[in-house]
Amino acid sequence: MLSVTGLTKSFPGVRALDAVDFTARAGEVHALIGENGAGKSTLIKVLTGVYRPDAGEVAYAERPARFATPLEAQDAGISTIYQEVNLVPLMSVARNLLLGREPRNRLGLIDFRRMHREADEALRDLGVRVDVRRPLRELGVGAQQMVALARAVSVNARVVIMDEPTSSLEPREVRTLFGVIRMLRERGIAVIYVSHRLDELYAVCDAVTVLRDGKVVHTGPLADLDRLRLVALMLGREIGEVADEGVTKFTGEHHAESEPVLRAERLSVRHRLSGVSLDIRPGEVVGLGGLLGSGRSETAKAIAGALPPDSGRVTVAGTSVRTGSTPAAIRAGISLLPEDRKAEGVVPGLSVRENIALAALPRLSRLGLVDDSRVDAIVDTFMRRLRIKASGPHQKVGELSGGNQQKVLLARWLAMNPKVLLLDEPTRGIDVGAKAEVQKLIDELAQDGLGVLLISSDMEELVEGSDRVVVLKDGAVVEELTGSAVTPDALLSAIATTGGPAGAEAGAAGGPAAPQHLRETS
Amino acid sequence: MKSRTLLRRTSARTLLAVGLAASLTFAAGCAKSEDDASGSGEAASGKGDSGQVVAGGDGGATCAIDAYGGKKFDLKTATVGFSQSEKEANPFRIAETASIKAEAEKRGVRLLTANAQSQFSKQISDVQDLIAKGADALVIAPLNSDGWEPVLRAASARHIPIVTVDRKINAKACEDYVSFIGSDFVEQGRRAADRMIEATGGKGEIAILLGTAGNNVTTERTKGFKERIEEKAPGLKVVFQQTGEFSREKGQQVTEQLIQSKPGITGIYAENDEMGLGAVNALKGAGKKAGDIKIVTIDGTKGAVRSIVSGWIDGVIESNPRFGPLAFSTLDSFTRGEKVKQDIVIKDSAYTGKNAEADLSQAY
Amino acid sequence: MTDLALGRPAADRDHVLRLLQTYGVYLGVAVLLLVNILFTPHFLSGENFRTQAVQVAPVLIVALGMALAIGSEGVDLSVGSVMALSTSLISLYLGYGVWVALVVAVLGGMAVGAANGSLVAFIGVQPIVATLALMVAGRGLALVLLPQLKDVRDPNMASLGSGALLGIPYPVLIAAALALLVAFVVRRTTFGRQLLAIGDSRPAAQLAGLPVRRVLVLVYVASGALAAIAGLLATARLSASDPTSLGNLMELSAITAVVVGGTPLSGGRVRIGGTVAGAVLIQLLTATLIKHDLPPSWTQIAQAVVIVLAVYAARERSKR
Repeated sequence: MLSVTGLTKSFPGVRALDAVDFTARAGEVHALIGENGAGKSTLIKVLTGVYRPDAGEVAYAERPARFATPLEAQDAGISTIYQEVNLVPLMSVARNLLLGREPRNRLGLIDFRRMHREADEALRDLGVRVDVRRPLRELGVGAQQMVALARAVSVNARVVIMDEPTSSLEPREVRTLFGVIRMLRERGIAVIYVSHRLDELYAVCDAVTVLRDGKVVHTGPLADLDRLRLVALMLGREIGEVADEGVTKFTGEHHAESEPVLRAERLSVRHRLSGVSLDIRPGEVVGLGGLLGSGRSETAKAIAGALPPDSGRVTVAGTSVRTGSTPAAIRAGISLLPEDRKAEGVVPGLSVRENIALAALPRLSRLGLVDDSRVDAIVDTFMRRLRIKASGPHQKVGELSGGNQQKVLLARWLAMNPKVLLLDEPTRGIDVGAKAEVQKLIDELAQDGLGVLLISSDMEELVEGSDRVVVLKDGAVVEELTGSAVTPDALLSAIATTGGPAGAEAGAAGGPAAPQHLRETS
Repeated sequence: MKSRTLLRRTSARTLLAVGLAASLTFAAGCAKSEDDASGSGEAASGKGDSGQVVAGGDGGATCAIDAYGGKKFDLKTATVGFSQSEKEANPFRIAETASIKAEAEKRGVRLLTANAQSQFSKQISDVQDLIAKGADALVIAPLNSDGWEPVLRAASARHIPIVTVDRKINAKACEDYVSFIGSDFVEQGRRAADRMIEATGGKGEIAILLGTAGNNVTTERTKGFKERIEEKAPGLKVVFQQTGEFSREKGQQVTEQLIQSKPGITGIYAENDEMGLGAVNALKGAGKKAGDIKIVTIDGTKGAVRSIVSGWIDGVIESNPRFGPLAFSTLDSFTRGEKVKQDIVIKDSAYTGKNAEADLSQAY
Repeated sequence: MTDLALGRPAADRDHVLRLLQTYGVYLGVAVLLLVNILFTPHFLSGENFRTQAVQVAPVLIVALGMALAIGSEGVDLSVGSVMALSTSLISLYLGYGVWVALVVAVLGGMAVGAANGSLVAFIGVQPIVATLALMVAGRGLALVLLPQLKDVRDPNMASLGSGALLGIPYPVLIAAALALLVAFVVRRTTFGRQLLAIGDSRPAAQLAGLPVRRVLVLVYVASGALAAIAGLLATARLSASDPTSLGNLMELSAITAVVVGGTPLSGGRVRIGGTVAGAVLIQLLTATLIKHDLPPSWTQIAQAVVIVLAVYAARERSKR
């Protein structure tokens, strides 16, 4: 139905897609998976006419096609359902469903009765019963997504692309969605399904294409591929392939004390975390493993107060910390190096000096006046200790390399004498030399008695750097690897395990009878 | 946990908001201004309201009720609507509204009032409201000259007599409305020029503080003044004209620049009193003495007339805002079936050193 | 695009451009001074400079507060209304004595600032919307408190407006002191450093545990207080309270001074020296056109040209 061959698309500095071949057949649900930056979004954007490819062919219904705009693609029958529903929230469900194609009466006015009947029928076909006269925004996210789907189907879509459709759905809604997807398949519609939830893929998809670094690393029927192998393909790590010792600069040996410095208990955030508990002892590096979207960054943010949890407790050295408040977490000794260093970490327009002193300013001031000599002393100490390469303390941080920016951030937190460091992808996007230095530093810090939580998509880094690894899946802890069990293979199998709280029901519920229960009210 | 935090925050916000509101109310409540003891409100009471006198003799088109349509009625038992254009925040508007109200009270006429707050669309709906509320006659101080057709048509369909005051509207007299009562701004400019010629002896360099650009009052007061100067006193040269935007602050700032760059200036013509008072401030600040530079202004507010007494301003040409008596007598005559003039130009008086002290009570 | 081919000369041009962006406003002031000295009669006199300084003082004081707001990636449109409110309050409270009136006026400005800051910091209203609301409400309140112009005859107020110390008028002294104070605050205090960090990258500042809300509220309180001070100086100079017209379009003059002075609208930087020069530049420009009796519309066009040039320079800067 829709296929591409030799598709290549580059952005300044990155080759996002590299000679990608991909085919979505009619009556097939095709999973498109890959880690962050693998090229999924770029591929979808090329398919839907948002981007134009640098090279390669797009064929649609056996004919070469070239969509200049998303509208053209839509008119041709390619519908996309995004994570965030893009409909008009204030209009009625029926208006949304038939927007631009409202049935008219003889006077050329909208025939509301017919419109409501048609809308009701279209939704009933999908097993959704809602009052189509009500404004769309009164429906739950799941039902809104159904309306978007119904709209896609009713405009005679022949290809439906779904980008992480379940990320904000309840299990019950997921079941309904799957029923609808199966119905689409029976009608001979090609469905392209993007998700990180393995259980969902196995529940609903027929074929799979795995992207990694802009290349197709595997394509074929999903049934032929077991979970472990799928995860291995995504992460680019073959099973049984033993990484050479010393790929990283970690020594991997710390002498942890017995009492945990940080204890997080049953942290829950709607749709993102369900009851995550973990603890970190002084001098210990705890890795946090899992696929993209498994809740690693969310866990770190919830601990650091940047993401207010719905329930759960965080204690540092036995004292409870007020959740949802960054200053409270920092006062308690928790420091977070965020994943998005450029947007959430450094303040690019300020100098190295200002950035390092930023969090510690109140401590370096007297009566609100900054004590410059103390700032200089601290900045000097850390620039030397962390070997920050800058033309001087007054250079703007925005002008530094990624590695040095990361060191500036580390310095900012070390100046606060933290008890716990939460490092979210500390070595992503920095060059090899700097990476080794940062890794060595993490090691040193743990040896100095800090508790460290390490999040990394780099398997070697995670395995070699951590004393223990807590594995997350769909926002919940599925396994904890300790001691000699911390190996790449064990990590892979833990990530690939069946089940997990959020996905379990969805995976199990398979029957075509499922969609009948949805009566949305929320 | 989250909801509790939220609640706590919300209540903190509410407290803050309430506190702010309360403190401001408090601020107004216990205020004590400089001259609270002396008591104010003389402007509003219309005391010393001499009303207006019609300028010129007979002649000009007239209008009678037969031509306009409608029936005669007794104004005493009628309801009159008054639509004011701008907020009563300057002396002119305050005196204008006060005069209409005072006259209505004097005649025992029921008066409905509305203020358009300088929004033309509001004035249109104000007038429609007044008609809907049962006004038998209307007095309108228009904000704009144009755009009145729809509302006037509605009024004339019901034969409601309309008198416009202080600004004329572009419509047919005696068809869309009955009469216009107002000052002749060009004439005011000419009289200001006469005063200036007299004060300076017809020689020297003078400056003009213009009103707001694009305003018909500005254009007409400038036109009359310059024409008369050219015609009567070729020895007077207008060497400077900048806008003071009818405000005291701008008038002061512009005059400060003026006396720096043109120290030889002999006279300043300010197109309203406020700018003239700003000029006085500037001259005081520059160490000049009263009378060094002759100032002539237009309007006739109390502040300006007082400055004549103290010698800083040489003359003030009045622009009389007290339309009440004339507006009501026009309506009265008209509804009784008498002919009234379509354009009623009022005679403005003037204040000079001779009469300022005596006539101070007439200033507004 | 041709930069690569040009090589070194391009780099030189870049360098010149950057210097122009940083010091352009000072250059502009110098050029205007020179032009006036050459072509404007009676320009080189102490009296004239005093006049220009006195006239620029209120604009400058408001611009200082505006610079703080813009540095925090916000803007304060309510400054003109705060001036009006301040003048109303002075007139209302002068009966208690001049000091009480001045304190009440400044407190009133701070209250409006606190309302602005709370809307921005706690409720998350965009600064332009929040301060627009207070701009309308503030002027309204000022007119409710004092419906029309009222003369201020207090001798202390008069001497505040026209008195001088060692030949320097009080308003100028106060403006200079405030400029130094604000520069000091931005450079040397925790508040100043945190303000810049928040303006540059709010998410980063938040994750670094900075008291973002408190700082934002303080920024608008400071801006309100400064605007109120400007209002009371203007009142003293005018020796009248005129809430209808005082401070009209002041927000635009202040933003112009800040932007022309090289403070980027995107926040994270505050250039106090530039802001002072920006205000002086606009003042000299207006004065030049008035002194040569050019049509008033020219002044507006000239201001527009200066703003466009400044924004163009800022654009070049952000591209780098």
